[in-house]
Amino acid sequence: MNLEFMQGALPLYASALLLTLRISLLGIVLSLVLGLLCSLVLYQRERERSRALWGLGKLVCVYIEFSRNTPLLIQLFFLYYALPKLGLMLSNEECAVIGLTFLGGGYMAESFRSGLEGVSRVQFELGLSIGLKPLQLVRFVIFPQALALAVPALGANCIFLIKETSVVSIVALPDLMSVAKELIGMYYNTLEALFLLVLCYLLLLVPVSFLLTLLERKLRYAEFGI
Amino acid sequence: MRGLTERLYKAGILLQLLAFVLGLAFTQAAFAAEPGSLAAIKAAGKIRIAVFADKPPFGYLDESGKNVGFDLVIARRVVKDLFGREDAVEWVLLEPANRVEYLEANKVDIVFANFTVTKARAEKVDFALPYMKVALGVVSPDRNVIRDIKDLRGKKLIVIKGTTAETYFAEKHPEVELLKFDEISEAFQALTDGRGAGLSNDNTFLFAWANTNKGYTVGVPSLGSLDTIAPAVRKGNKELLAWLNGEIRNLGKEKFIHKAYAEALAPYYGNSVDPEDLVIEGGEFR
Repeated sequence: MNLEFMQGALPLYASALLLTLRISLLGIVLSLVLGLLCSLVLYQRERERSRALWGLGKLVCVYIEFSRNTPLLIQLFFLYYALPKLGLMLSNEECAVIGLTFLGGGYMAESFRSGLEGVSRVQFELGLSIGLKPLQLVRFVIFPQALALAVPALGANCIFLIKETSVVSIVALPDLMSVAKELIGMYYNTLEALFLLVLCYLLLLVPVSFLLTLLERKLRYAEFGI
Repeated sequence: MRGLTERLYKAGILLQLLAFVLGLAFTQAAFAAEPGSLAAIKAAGKIRIAVFADKPPFGYLDESGKNVGFDLVIARRVVKDLFGREDAVEWVLLEPANRVEYLEANKVDIVFANFTVTKARAEKVDFALPYMKVALGVVSPDRNVIRDIKDLRGKKLIVIKGTTAETYFAEKHPEVELLKFDEISEAFQALTDGRGAGLSNDNTFLFAWANTNKGYTVGVPSLGSLDTIAPAVRKGNKELLAWLNGEIRNLGKEKFIHKAYAEALAPYYGNSVDPEDLVIEGGEFR
């Protein structure tokens, strides 16, 4: 292995790592928000039988199926190459974040929903019976339990989204994958470039995975007994 | 006791990682040493040649999905002279950044994909005699023509990864902001969407593109040094290289590259390009 080449390439990888991190973070936060909103719509639809909610719920279902059953690569292609034909020009970073949010939102919604549905009905009745208002009921009884149930799935989604960023080079963003390909194309040190790429992803994902385990333990104290 | 098992387990994981990395290094070495000898190619009954699918008129697919273009006319003749028939070939389609890798990983025997000879590339692959001359150019929209590199200040220039244009701008003009794409077709799509002020690539290619796409001009017709384009084989594959060089010299005797020009390039260029500015016969480049 050519260590000198690897040393020279490190700054490029570092800036690419930051870019990957930035897009991932934005994508994860936005998809968490979007996913939570979608899951609340679906959840409330089960309880209130209003026409407006029913329509909104249908829309959310269509969105979830759509986002989970199309590859990110295709979504990015659409955002970057097809939308300009309709007169909407998004920058490459906007495309990446919107694409990740669109994809992640569907997955996050399903995870939140499974968490919410896992909270037993008795908990509502108990909460109401001790005089909690609806908002208090959600804040102190339902949400902590639902989150504890959903957090492993949400964590897996976060890692999934970070890994999915490896296709954003399709919209000409200099992310990790893109830098590796570029170096291979210019200097042909395939082994070194790919080795650094794997290393960077490990560097990014192992701490995230570790933090998620900690978070899981913290949120699921009832089960872990800490 | 638990601590010890855990530590042993961790050491095991580290060892596995190390073995994986070493394994990678050795496989690479093994591939590089393996020759795709002429005898082996003949025994297989076909030769694997890498070409472009999206670089008209040099290597592209026609309406029926057939590989055609200037590179293909020459490559087909090479196959015919090797096997006695034109169809003893497997066309492998690739993107520019993969050309060296495909040879190194033994995925193809020859790269015939408008491959500019450069020093960095010559360290990794063996180039045969050249058949074409080339320099870089910049194409841009008529309403805002880029006539000089200075015009690019504060604007984005589109390039394709793994091309000489990318290396040239990265090394000689780092002040120009580059927008880099993997595929040739994606890069031109981005240019027509107005994502960059211009696109840089081989001037020969850009002239042909601007001729068939209205509203675009090659405002910078020649940039950087005059280079050559040649087929390439895996590093150290001397037998195939010697045969290919002999073949290119023979083709020069019958002015075959001019014939290939007339067949594949003349319809694109018309009278706008002098064939002598582009064609190299018998590998003789002055």
